[in-house]
Amino acid sequence: MTPLPKSAEVVVVGGGVIGASISLALAEAGAKPVLLEARAFGGAVTGGSLAAIGTHMHGREEFGILDYARDRWRELSDASQDGIEYTACGKMGFILTDAALAAGKTLVAQEKSQGARAELLMPEQAQQYERLLGGPILAMTYDPDTATVNPFHAVRALMLAARQAGAQLFENTPVARLLVEAGRVVGVETSTGERVSTPHAVLACGPWTTKLAADLDLNLPIEPRQAQCLASIRQPSGTLRQVISSCEAKGGVDSGYTQIQQSPSGQILFNTVTALAPTPKGAEDRVGEVQPGFVVDSVNTLLMLFPALKDLPILRSWVRFEAVTPDARFLAGPVPVPGLHVCAGDNGSGFCRAPLLAQFIADGVTGRQTLPVALQQRAAQLYDPLRFMDGQNV
Amino acid sequence: MPVERLICDVAVVGAGPAGLAASLAAAAAGTEVICVDQFPRAGGQYHMQPNAPDTPFAKTEQVQQGLQAIRACEAADVRFLTGAEVFWAEPPKSSGEHFNLYIQRDGRAIIVEAKTLVAASGAMERPMPFPGWTLPGVIGAGAAQRLLKTSGAACALPFKGKTVLAGTGPFLLAVASTFAKAGQKIDHFVEMQPAAPLKKARAMLRHPLRLPDAVALLRDLSRTGAQRHMGAIITRAIGTSKIETVEIAPLGPDGAPDLRRAVLVEGVGALCIGYGFQPVIDLTTALGASHSYDLALGGWHCTTDALSCATSLPRLYAAGEVTGLGGANPARLSGQLAGLHAAAFCQGKNPERNGTATQLATKLLAFRAFAATLAQLYPMPERFPLPLVGDEVVCRCEDVTLAEIKTAIADGAHENFAVKMWTRAGMGLCQGRNCGAGIAAALAESDIDPITAGYNRSHFPLRPVSTCIATAAFASSSEAKA
Repeated sequence: MTPLPKSAEVVVVGGGVIGASISLALAEAGAKPVLLEARAFGGAVTGGSLAAIGTHMHGREEFGILDYARDRWRELSDASQDGIEYTACGKMGFILTDAALAAGKTLVAQEKSQGARAELLMPEQAQQYERLLGGPILAMTYDPDTATVNPFHAVRALMLAARQAGAQLFENTPVARLLVEAGRVVGVETSTGERVSTPHAVLACGPWTTKLAADLDLNLPIEPRQAQCLASIRQPSGTLRQVISSCEAKGGVDSGYTQIQQSPSGQILFNTVTALAPTPKGAEDRVGEVQPGFVVDSVNTLLMLFPALKDLPILRSWVRFEAVTPDARFLAGPVPVPGLHVCAGDNGSGFCRAPLLAQFIADGVTGRQTLPVALQQRAAQLYDPLRFMDGQNV
Repeated sequence: MPVERLICDVAVVGAGPAGLAASLAAAAAGTEVICVDQFPRAGGQYHMQPNAPDTPFAKTEQVQQGLQAIRACEAADVRFLTGAEVFWAEPPKSSGEHFNLYIQRDGRAIIVEAKTLVAASGAMERPMPFPGWTLPGVIGAGAAQRLLKTSGAACALPFKGKTVLAGTGPFLLAVASTFAKAGQKIDHFVEMQPAAPLKKARAMLRHPLRLPDAVALLRDLSRTGAQRHMGAIITRAIGTSKIETVEIAPLGPDGAPDLRRAVLVEGVGALCIGYGFQPVIDLTTALGASHSYDLALGGWHCTTDALSCATSLPRLYAAGEVTGLGGANPARLSGQLAGLHAAAFCQGKNPERNGTATQLATKLLAFRAFAATLAQLYPMPERFPLPLVGDEVVCRCEDVTLAEIKTAIADGAHENFAVKMWTRAGMGLCQGRNCGAGIAAALAESDIDPITAGYNRSHFPLRPVSTCIATAAFASSSEAKA
C-alpha cells in the first residue's frame, strides 16, 4: 500500500460522505488534500444512511441550500453515468393527527412559496402514487422532487472523482491526535505514530469529531445518536415508490422519526425510532445491534401504513451513529484554532447537504469563492460552529 | 401470535457430535438442558439420521453412534428442539440475566432463556467459484451426502447421468463412502492433492489408531468404481440449462492446471464438489465473542480456552467445528468439556473435582494433532484453485461478478465489509454464506491478508425472519423483562 505522505496542503479526517465531498471540492480547487479514514470509506453512518436528497420537511431556512445541493447531486449522477443510482422517487410524509395535519398544511404552503412542487394529498390521491398505502392516515404531504442515491456508490464515486482531481485517500488510518504548535494546527498523528504535517485540518468524523477537538480544549456540542435500520429480502420493483416519512406537529430531534423506502435492488428499508437509545461507551470501536423495541416499532409503523407487507421477511439490520447537535444543524467552518475547520452534525441527514458543505469548507480553506455569495453567507450563519460557545473557547 | 418461553440452565445450539456430547455431559451433571437444531432430526451432518428405516445407512456406525447419543440425551432429560432456527441471540447484560435465544419453528416464535450457552453450530461447505459453478447439477459434496442420506429408500441423487465427485480433503473420501454404502456408483473422483502415497503413509503412521478408518474409506472409494484423478481439478462445468460436461485438468508443477492435458467427461448429471469447510460463526460473532484466523482450521473460528472451551464472552462456551475444523472426535471431546464446564458454572461447582475435565482436555489435544496432520496433507485453497475470468459470478444472490469485486478492491475496498458495501456481494438472501469464500479468495488474490480482510460479523437476523415472528418474540421478551 502507498505510504502516507510526510506533508499535505490540507488533511481531511473522516472518509464518509462529508469527508469525501470535501476532498473532492478541495481537489477541484487544486488543493491536493490527503484524506484519512479510520476504517472503511463510507463504512460508518454514511453506509448506514438511506441517503435521501431534497428540500421536503427540512425547514424554511435551509431550503436554498438543499435545493443547490440537489443540483450538485444531479451533476455527480450525470458524471458517474448514474453509477450512484440517483432516483427522483419523491417523498411523502404521513399525517395521523389533526395537529400534524395543520403542521403539514403550513409546511406545504411554505415550501410552495419557495418554489417547491410540494402538495398535500388526501389518502385516495396518495394511493395513486403509492398503491399499497393503507392505514389510518388523514393525509400525506408530497414532494415529487426528493431523490435517493446509493450511499455506498455515492461515496465511491466521490472518492474516485477526488482521486482523479489529485486527492490522496487512505483507509484504515485512524488519526489519534492533532498536532499544534504556537496555537495553530501543524499536522496530524495517526494511531501508529505516523505524522503528516499540514497547515489545514478538516474534522469530518461525525459524532467522533468531538474527541480530536477536545484535545485542543474545544468542546463541540455534538452527541452520538444510534441510527438503525432494517432491510427485507427483495420485493418486486415498484412495491414502494417514494421515501415515506412521518410528518409530525412537534419538530426537533426528540420527536422521533420514520423512514421507509424500497432500494433499487428491491429490498424494503425501514426504520421508526420513537425512543432514542443511549450511546454505549466505546461505541465507535464496536458494531452495535438493533434493539428489540426498535424492531417492534419499525415493523408496527411499516404494517400500519402498508398492511399488505405483513409477511415480509427481514433479512438484515444495521446500527450506526449519527452526529446530533442541539439545533439539529451542522457545525461547519473554522474554529478558534488557526488552521482547524470542522464539518460535522449530520443529524441523520448529511447526504442532502454534503455537496454544499464541501464547497463551503473548501472555500474557507483555500480562500476562494466558488459558492454563490448568498448561500455562502447563509451557511456561515446557519452552521457557525461557535454558535453555542458563548465565547468560552475564544 | 403466542410466544412459547422455555427456561433452562444450559442451552446447546447444534445437535451434531459436539452438541450431543455437550448436552449429555451437562444433563448428566444434573442441569436442565435444551438442545436446538435447525434440521428436523438431531445428529448433524456426521450422525445424520435417515428419514426411512429401510435405507442402507440405518445400520452404519455413524448413524448408530448418533442414535445412541440422542437416546442417551433423551434418557438424561435433554429437551430437543429440532427444526428450529435461531434467528437472534442476546447475551446476558448482568449477572442476574440469562442468554435469550430467539427461535422460529413451524411459523411460531420460541424464546429460550439459558444461564449458559454452548455454541456447537458446526461447519458448512466452503463453495469456491469456478467456471460453470452456478449450473444446476453442480452441488456441494456435503449437500450430495445429505441428499443421499435423506433420499429415503431411493438412496440416490435426483440427477440423471454420470456422477463426478471433486475438490480436496478427507471429507471427499467420507462422501465417497456414503455413495458406496448407498450402492451408488461414482464415475470420476477428482482430488487436487497428488496421490503421494508415501507422504500419506508416513503421516498416518504417526496416528496408527486411525489407520483402520483410512483403509476402510479407501476401500469404499474403490467400491464406487470411480476413476481417480489425483493432483487434478475441475476447470469447467459446461452445459446450457444444466450441467452436461465436466473438464478435468491435471495440475502442473507450478500448481496451475495444465489445460493441454485436460479431459472432457460428457453426460454428467451431478458434479459434487467440495473445497473444504468453514466454521459456522453466525451465532458466536453475533454474540460478540472473539474469533481467530487459521486456514488449517477452516479460516475464521471462535477462539476458545483449550481446557474449558470457554469463549471470550462470559458463560458462552463453544465446541466442535465452530472452534476450528477437526472432525467428529475433537467435536465430541470439546462438546463434553463445554457441557461439563457450562453445567459446573450453573451449579457453582468446580468441574475439575475428579480430573475428568483435564483428561478430556489432554485427549482433545491428541485428536487435534491428528486433525492438524490431515490439514497439512490436504491444505484448503485460500485463493481460487484456478484463474477465473472477470465475468464469473461470485455472489449468486446479488449477481456480483469477480470483475466487480476486483474493481472495488482496486478502488480501495480492502476488507470483506468494504467489498460488501461497494458491490452488494454478501448482502443477499444467503447472507454471505455462499459467497464468503469467493470474496475472501478475491481479496487474497489482491494480496490482502485474511486478518485485514476480516469477516462480516452477523447481525439481526441470523436467518431471514418474518416481521410477525420477530415482533411477537421481541414484544414478549420486553414484556418479560418489564
